[in-house]
Amino acid sequence: MKYCKMRSLKLLLCIVCAMLIVSQEYCAYGKVYIDIDSPTFHKFPIAITDFKKTSGDSSHGDLSSWFSDTLGKYLEITGFFNVISKKAFLEDSKQTGVSAGSIRFADWTVIGAEYLVKGTFQDRGRELITDFYLFDVVKGAVITAKRYTGKMEDKNAMVRKFANEILYALTGDEGVFNTKIAFALKKGRGSDIYTINFDGTDLARITKHQAITLSPRWSPDGKYISFTSYKDGKPDLYIKAVNAATAVKMANFEGINLAGSWSRDGKRLLLTLSKDGSENLYMMDVTNRNITRLTNSYAIDISPSWSPDNQKIAFVSNRSGSPQIYIMDADGSNIRRLTYEGNYNTSPSWSPKGNRIAYEGLANGRFHIFSIDEDGRNVVKHTADSMDHETPSWSPDGRYLVFSSRGHGKSRISVINANGSNLRILYENINGCMSTSWSPRLK
Amino acid sequence: MKKSIALIGVIGLILCFSIMMTTGCAKKSVVKEQPVTGEQKAAVAETTKEVVKESPKAEVARVEEESVREKAASAEMLRDINFDFDKFNLKPEAREILKQHADYLAKNADKNVTIEGHCDERGTSEYNLALGERRAKEALKYLKELGISAKRMKTVSYGKEKPLDPGQNEEAWAKNRRDHFVVTP
Repeated sequence: MKYCKMRSLKLLLCIVCAMLIVSQEYCAYGKVYIDIDSPTFHKFPIAITDFKKTSGDSSHGDLSSWFSDTLGKYLEITGFFNVISKKAFLEDSKQTGVSAGSIRFADWTVIGAEYLVKGTFQDRGRELITDFYLFDVVKGAVITAKRYTGKMEDKNAMVRKFANEILYALTGDEGVFNTKIAFALKKGRGSDIYTINFDGTDLARITKHQAITLSPRWSPDGKYISFTSYKDGKPDLYIKAVNAATAVKMANFEGINLAGSWSRDGKRLLLTLSKDGSENLYMMDVTNRNITRLTNSYAIDISPSWSPDNQKIAFVSNRSGSPQIYIMDADGSNIRRLTYEGNYNTSPSWSPKGNRIAYEGLANGRFHIFSIDEDGRNVVKHTADSMDHETPSWSPDGRYLVFSSRGHGKSRISVINANGSNLRILYENINGCMSTSWSPRLK
Repeated sequence: MKKSIALIGVIGLILCFSIMMTTGCAKKSVVKEQPVTGEQKAAVAETTKEVVKESPKAEVARVEEESVREKAASAEMLRDINFDFDKFNLKPEAREILKQHADYLAKNADKNVTIEGHCDERGTSEYNLALGERRAKEALKYLKELGISAKRMKTVSYGKEKPLDPGQNEEAWAKNRRDHFVVTP
């Protein structure tokens, strides 16, 4: 009871604080973007000034605002930043430099900024040199500064790198700007594996099998993708190096050959095989293709997902009569049921942070994305609209979930912050996209 | 007429050339990129096939071939059997249909059958793959009980990936939860 009181008091305090912040900023500056749907989350108020050109020709248009706008866009899609509108800026940027000594930090605190990014660039034809600075406005000091040297076409990568630096400096964990999401995209009678960047750009085709192809899973180094394809008329397991021309067939037993997640060291792959009659879980040594059987049941056991320490495995089984999520030890022992709500829970994905398992569950006639603690507590529903949502996959920092959605004649790949805010559509079409899998951080 | 023959010739040449090119490249990249040893030959062979399938003509041919095959199958009068949501047990009406199929297969001893298990679009691809397999195997088991040799029957699950009716309603879903029978010589 006491605990409850304390909690509600804390909650009240949080709400009051959030309201104060919101109202204060709204009163003073109408242009500040605030997500009032997540009042408990503290977003970093950040200002980004146009970058200064220190030397070079002017053949590349207005890069000054391109840098600030692009960085602002990247920070905004994280859901963790309030990027303050340039219209609210008081500083005359033409009169100010990029060193801490030349900045009037009072001009920034007064508009509500806690952090400030400034930068310069040298445009030398194809070569580009950029300097990025992140300031703590309250302390009036540089937090981090980086110089990047490269080609003009590297400018996006430079901005992403510094966005990662900002997240690392402010949260202690790098961002996921250099990650991709793999998924299966239907076309005609078949489907192929595609990848798309975290920001929704650069859709790229990985397989050209012109057959049903599904369930992509990234290797931990991001260099390989395993998947199942009907290229030879039945569901066989393949591994493909992302930038190679061909895939290698890894398993073609009778029945289903389906991959689950990869081990941390990239040497083992969890599998579902039905070669002995019923669908059971196995582990394959990728280097020599030796197979170890993990479960032994007459029921359907499928979709295995390793815990980040590889000590446990979450999977789907219908051994109780309906598909539910189960957990077992890595050797197949100590099987226990995890989900009890609803009669259709599938597609477990274990958070890289370790404590939560996301899955897809049927609730009131619709499929939604849920997550649950490893001990079965704290079931959270992450989706709310009237589409069907499937195959959740965690980002490498455990802060986001990607999933596919279907309904109203549309099909989507969407990302949501694990706290339920900031739903973002990465890709949409009418043909069908499914089986999402989030890559590790890519080099 | 002459023109079109020449055109086909040119396309053919380009196709052959591109196969040679890709195969050559693939060999290199397979050696460099492969996660495991072995199967290089198979992988190269795969590329060749892939390239052939890549051409729109081959795709059209393939789709046509499939539709011809499906028409032939339907002409054999082996009707689909249907299932309830998330179930693979044979309903009484399904058993009646399977008895007719057993009669047909008994009379046509030279014919074999592939039993395809299918699901509706709801739920995950992976779980539906298993469910489809169970549906196909359940029919195979029953046909075997009715005296059809297991050697003449094959199962393959397509999960929810090949719906008969693309609709998003119970009527379409009910049609899609099915075993489809493809008769082969």
